[in-house]
Amino acid sequence: MSEQLTPLHGNHACALGAIAAGCRFFGGYPITPSSEIAERMSRELPKVGGVFIQMEDEIASMAAIIGASMGGTRSMTATSGPGFSLMQENLGYAAIAEVPCVIINVMRGGPSTGMPTRPAQGDILQARWGTHGDHPIIVLTPASVQEVYDETIRAFELAEKLRVPVVVMYDQIIAHLLEGVKMRDADAPLVERKWAGSEADYKPFATGDDLVPAMARPGDGHRVHTTGLTHNEAGFPTQHPETVDRVTRRLLDKLDRHRAEIEKFEAVDTDDADILVVTFGISARAARRAVRIARAEGIKAGLFRPLTMWPFPEEALRAAAKGAKAVLVPEMNAGQLSWQLERVLRDGTPIVSQGKIDGQPITPDEIVARLREIRGS
Amino acid sequence: MASTQRTEIRFAGSGGQGLITGARILFKALALAGRQAAQSQSYEPTSRGGFCHSDLVVSDGEPDYPLVTGIDYLVVLDQVGADRSADVIGKETLVVADARLVPNPPAEANIRSLPLTDRALALGSHRVANIIALGALVGFTGICPKEALEQAVRAETPKKFADLNVAAVEEGFRLAEELAVA
Repeated sequence: MSEQLTPLHGNHACALGAIAAGCRFFGGYPITPSSEIAERMSRELPKVGGVFIQMEDEIASMAAIIGASMGGTRSMTATSGPGFSLMQENLGYAAIAEVPCVIINVMRGGPSTGMPTRPAQGDILQARWGTHGDHPIIVLTPASVQEVYDETIRAFELAEKLRVPVVVMYDQIIAHLLEGVKMRDADAPLVERKWAGSEADYKPFATGDDLVPAMARPGDGHRVHTTGLTHNEAGFPTQHPETVDRVTRRLLDKLDRHRAEIEKFEAVDTDDADILVVTFGISARAARRAVRIARAEGIKAGLFRPLTMWPFPEEALRAAAKGAKAVLVPEMNAGQLSWQLERVLRDGTPIVSQGKIDGQPITPDEIVARLREIRGS
Repeated sequence: MASTQRTEIRFAGSGGQGLITGARILFKALALAGRQAAQSQSYEPTSRGGFCHSDLVVSDGEPDYPLVTGIDYLVVLDQVGADRSADVIGKETLVVADARLVPNPPAEANIRSLPLTDRALALGSHRVANIIALGALVGFTGICPKEALEQAVRAETPKKFADLNVAAVEEGFRLAEELAVA
């Protein structure tokens, strides 16, 4: 079995996952610790007839991938914190204009320029609410090189199918970790975007039960007006209260309608857990080991790990936390996921935040120490 | 599901000694032997000269935590590598150290001080000291078959140096055997 695994760094697995998912346009600006994604894409895209452009900055990068996607090409950019901040304005445009695109954010220490070479997990709330206004967005948080590959592919599938921007977020450690990856068959079928047919009464933002509008393929003859202004089903700006409410709610409901397919999580030993550890990304790899060590000591610990951070797998978390006497949340930020759990778990279960913000990864021993403390209290 | 069996290995020294190449070759050899590994390395603004390390966490399945927490085997080719790895080694750690460039190996460890650089020079290039160390490590520990290591060395190094590198593996095994006999 191991013979079939290809040794890859996280960032290279991301680039190859994108190519396997049919990505044929990359617009970006290199930034530590994500630069290897741009570098690899600049080598891979010409081989498959794709286009790589190094843009002048991240605002333009985001604009470029939106334009390419509206032209019918699967598109991606990759960045880290400072660049992700610059992308927020156009990310909102992609959300309201319903343009499929994939954004990779390799998290580093922040805020601002922060610590370029140190890992962090401090962008998870920004990823949800970084652009202004109520908007739909999907955020995926892989924890291994294999998952970086698989989740990048899944990001394209969700983006195309649901016409929504999808963010894939991991940290510097996973970005530069070398692990074996099972690659997808080169001829695996791709998920197709929902394209408009030749209907005479086509409206660019009208939908059926799936709440996803069909996109007019460029050159097919449909007249389409695309705007960041709040628009009606015909695509034209409106401030008519009833219409605004209807179209905005449809935009938000779109992801709820497809929650089952978007949500992904891992639950380890949660059935009889007294203490539930909830974390993601590299911190979840430490937690997986910590839970094993704790169990060997007789501490009934379990792990819940969201692979889909947004929309948050709320029901699955509540099910996993059922019966737990405490919840421990180790994360490489000052308590962002912990804050989110306080909203989701409203049953009074104590939530203990273990936020680490010194630029060093959380170790299994640190988590085990907190599990012992909690059991003792 | 991740495995409970876990071996942690570090290649340490200064930048340019082939530490990452060494870890990469072992990664490949372990894969050929049916084991999985995660390899990480120092990632800092400074890279040439100075402390450099490359770590492997080896497991039967996907390693759970991919970073080292307590090293089982340390290959150290420069004093700085020994000094800066002190916090992750213990009495049980097997240390394969270069006798010439690591004059003060860690006191509290299972030390095998070997003439890696001297033997490399005798083979024709100081640059194969890392491969001799790798041969000695596999010779001492049997972490993978010798054949897998040789196959990995051929796959991961330039063709024109393949024979030299395989000879370096042999030299490393010889050093391990000599020490076992002595």
